[in-house]
Amino acid sequence: MNLFLSQIAAIVWKDFVTELKTRELFSAMFIFALLVMLIFIFSVNLSIVKASEVGPGILWVAFLFSGTLGLNRSFVLEKENGCLMGLMLVPADRTVIYFGKLISNFVFLTIMELFILPLFMIFFNIDLIEHLLPLLLVIFLGTLGFCALGTLLSSLASNLKTREIMLPILLYPLLVPIVIGVVRMTGQILAGEPLSEMMNWIGLTASFDIIYIGVSIMTIDHILEE
Amino acid sequence: MVDNPKPSDFAIEVRQLRKDFGVLKAVDGVSFDLKRGEFLSVFGPNGAGKTTLIKILTGLTRPSSGTARVAGYEVEEGRSEMRREIGVISHSPALYADLTPMENLVFFGKMYGLEHPQESALAGLEDVGLAARRHDRVRTFSRGMLQRLSIARAVLHDPSILFLDEPFTGLDIHASNVLKEHLQTLHNNKRTILMTTHDVSCGLEMCDKVALQVMGRFAFFKDIKDVDKENFETMYFDAVRNNQFTMGIRSH
Repeated sequence: MNLFLSQIAAIVWKDFVTELKTRELFSAMFIFALLVMLIFIFSVNLSIVKASEVGPGILWVAFLFSGTLGLNRSFVLEKENGCLMGLMLVPADRTVIYFGKLISNFVFLTIMELFILPLFMIFFNIDLIEHLLPLLLVIFLGTLGFCALGTLLSSLASNLKTREIMLPILLYPLLVPIVIGVVRMTGQILAGEPLSEMMNWIGLTASFDIIYIGVSIMTIDHILEE
Repeated sequence: MVDNPKPSDFAIEVRQLRKDFGVLKAVDGVSFDLKRGEFLSVFGPNGAGKTTLIKILTGLTRPSSGTARVAGYEVEEGRSEMRREIGVISHSPALYADLTPMENLVFFGKMYGLEHPQESALAGLEDVGLAARRHDRVRTFSRGMLQRLSIARAVLHDPSILFLDEPFTGLDIHASNVLKEHLQTLHNNKRTILMTTHDVSCGLEMCDKVALQVMGRFAFFKDIKDVDKENFETMYFDAVRNNQFTMGIRSH
């Protein structure tokens, strides 16, 4: 168990050192999310539409689209120079690779989201401070589900020539339950409703997070094998 | 049970191994044994199934039928334990281009569960003569340096069996000679080595056993002392020529 955890930590450490050196992933995701928000700001007349009604959708579109950029990059790095083969040759369960990549993707995306939130607050003139804790819980659940499924599918798509196209085609339809859940919950939070009012959505989103992780554990061995 | 390997004098035991990709038989009924400490060179034209054979023996892909034991472990059943006993060097170096050699080896050391990954990494870099470049990014390395670093990565955990998949590809004469010296040292240290190569003189010079793989099958498998090198070279080049002819027919 100890080796299992230290192997996962080693993969996360490796991804962080790589990102600190290249800064490719974070900058690309952040700029993309920012651009998505800017486009929406200019296309939505906030004097007619309430920001708390359109904001949640725009926020999650920015998170998910920019997150897809990160997911695409995640396994491409492993394919370069045959590194994935090197990883598959170490005496480790293949779920180590999955959990290592999942944690890296989750942390990178969460950091990007934390940078985007203040900008969202300014652009849409919404006070997030008083709703911060419930909002962070929703972001945690949504990001976890997105990364759990996205990491699995990006490992699958990394073997395809058309991986940049295939990942969103595979990912978005399967993400629908989580997207509906987090957008609804974000809207309710911004409207000032307490978390106790949205326990059904929390349960649904958490259940899909668990299902995605469970399916990934069961299938990653076959997906990574050639 | 995968924890207790079957005791055997053989490092690698292969019986009627097959791998099909649709109608293509990449490995077609290959059987052979390799004793501990022996060096086997496998020659063969492109597409003969050499890389697929190595992928099966290292647990990277499953065979369609047949059995293979490496270090006493069934390649399908005891793969995690078996992987502690093997090291693989291929034409892809399996190194992260944006990390330094030190960071790469420390990472793989942690993945292999080494107690002192830093010390092991440094010792590995000194062995392959790259200690002075340990803080440079791997991206800046030449092909020869990458291959030396690849050796350091493959032997970091002190495996008893090494698989080398065309390790001389893309190397100039100097880099080839340096690599050859490293391989000879590894062989002298009683490691079992299975190498696929197109370099006939180099492969014959280092090995104890020779195999020629053609269209998935071992057309030839002998002790080096029973091999007439000139005849073998002729046979190998004929196999390559016939293979090109066959591939030409297939593509039309």
